[in-house]
Amino acid sequence: MRRVILAVTATVAGLVALLSFKSHSPQESLATPATPFAGAGGESAGGASTGGETGTGATALPAGERAVTGSVANTNYGPVQVQVIVKSGRIVKVNILEQPTSTEEDVQIGQYALPKLIAETLTSQSARIDTVSGASYTSHGYIQSLQSALDNGA
Amino acid sequence: MSAGPVAAVIRRRRPAAISPRVLLALVGTGATAAAYLWWHSTPDVTGLGGWLSGAGQLCGLECGYAVVVLVALMARIPPVERGAGADRLARWHAMGGRYVIGLVSAHALLIIWGYAVEARQNVVAETGTLLTGYPDVLMATVAWFLLLATGFVSARKVRSKLRYETWYYLHLYTYLAIALAFSHQFADGSAFTTDLAARFWWSALYSVVGAAVVWYRLVVPVRDCVRHDFRVAGVREEAPRTVSIYVRGKRLTELEAEPGQFFRWRFLARGLWWQSHPYSLSAAPSDDLLRITLRDDGGKFRALEPGTRLIAAGPFGAFTSARTGRPVLLVAGGVGIAPLRAMFATLPGPVTLVYRASSEGDVVFRPELDAIAAAKGGCVHYVVGRRADFSADPLSAPALRELVPGAEHMEAYLCGPPGMTDAAAAALRDIGVPRRRIHYESFEF
Repeated sequence: MRRVILAVTATVAGLVALLSFKSHSPQESLATPATPFAGAGGESAGGASTGGETGTGATALPAGERAVTGSVANTNYGPVQVQVIVKSGRIVKVNILEQPTSTEEDVQIGQYALPKLIAETLTSQSARIDTVSGASYTSHGYIQSLQSALDNGA
Repeated sequence: MSAGPVAAVIRRRRPAAISPRVLLALVGTGATAAAYLWWHSTPDVTGLGGWLSGAGQLCGLECGYAVVVLVALMARIPPVERGAGADRLARWHAMGGRYVIGLVSAHALLIIWGYAVEARQNVVAETGTLLTGYPDVLMATVAWFLLLATGFVSARKVRSKLRYETWYYLHLYTYLAIALAFSHQFADGSAFTTDLAARFWWSALYSVVGAAVVWYRLVVPVRDCVRHDFRVAGVREEAPRTVSIYVRGKRLTELEAEPGQFFRWRFLARGLWWQSHPYSLSAAPSDDLLRITLRDDGGKFRALEPGTRLIAAGPFGAFTSARTGRPVLLVAGGVGIAPLRAMFATLPGPVTLVYRASSEGDVVFRPELDAIAAAKGGCVHYVVGRRADFSADPLSAPALRELVPGAEHMEAYLCGPPGMTDAAAAALRDIGVPRRRIHYESFEF
């Protein structure tokens, strides 16, 4: 009986230790220095002049807006790719070009997590956002793709 | 074994052996590597759902690793058998088996719960999603139930009601369970879905252990059977329910069997061929003859015809002379005399044997033992009678101290029913024999 208690305690302690090491806040875990998009874009004011690296579809957008496409971030559940719409140095919209959809669960997670991530992005105007609980892979893919878009477009 | 003053006693190179500590360290390293697979593939853990499914993934990985270890412990790999001893391996296997049952259940339940939290579903609906929407999870669930069933029949209370063979053959379903559970690990496990290196090493682990099982449990015994051509030479009745079986074979020295070791015997005769049992050598092996001594309650062995073929797998067991140069004390109980009889005859120097039997009729080898004792100056104490006939435990510390003066300086070897060996080991420790000098193998297979 003592052995059973010992085995269970040791297992639970080990699990908790491993999990808690991985559960620090996502801001710290992101190695890439987050570029505050609003600041950089705001100073240059005339956003259109830096359009050299911007992505596709810029012509169809209303005046003053431009689209910057992020790179594809591969996650264990599939690729994630975002496109940000920028107006006067501010992110005004985020389009999801690709997201994991191979299972019903992936779709559900996307439906729930991506709006949150987009809302956070619009608020923070950067890729410095919290991952969504229960959707860490999708969140990380989103943040990675978003960061690359900001790196391209800023 | 270190060379040095004892080197003169060593007649030949000892076969390779992996000590229990090294074995445990190896197993622990593997478990750490399995945890690393999770660590490596997990970006972070957030929220209740993340914690639950993370814990579930870890349990699953460790479980996938632990089943391989459990199989490896039973794969009859010679250095492992020599180093750790068959009875210790069986104990570890039984303990580990219970642990794995707990781990696999925790894995399944934590994953269901964790995924349910993440998908904002109730657990019943999530269970349905997992079973139907995720590849191979259905097969893995069948495997889980097979493992639970194996755990159930191995529980002490149930197992004592089953015949050894029934239990043994039911146990083989675990191989099926391991096979059924394999594919969901790669198809659904985030540690493997994109990581080819992880897949490679994981498959390599499974393949190597699988090959070891096939090789050491199937190929080698059959090969040895052909090479050594084991046949029953004769059966001798030693006591009313105890028989010695003489087995003739060719080039038996190649087996490198030592006194104190055992083989797993399968007699290819009607009513016996489908069971395999471990029996110790009761005499030092020669190049063409082996002898085993066993309880024959049903009388099946007495009826063995000379010339009957048999498969002998082995030798196994770490219950062999430590060759320390110390005086030796052997304590035998009942049919546990068999391996000690072989050791008594072959250990160098005077050896003291304490032989516990419940009645005069159960004492076997008395003439042989007395002859050996006379020839090499050893000493045999027969302690005969039912427990109730003695005023105090005849193998208690004070009784042993009186019976065997200087026992505290001896290297002790114990063999007998588990209750007896446990009691005698405790008594020897009380006398002052350190744990490392008390060797025993219990015959509870």
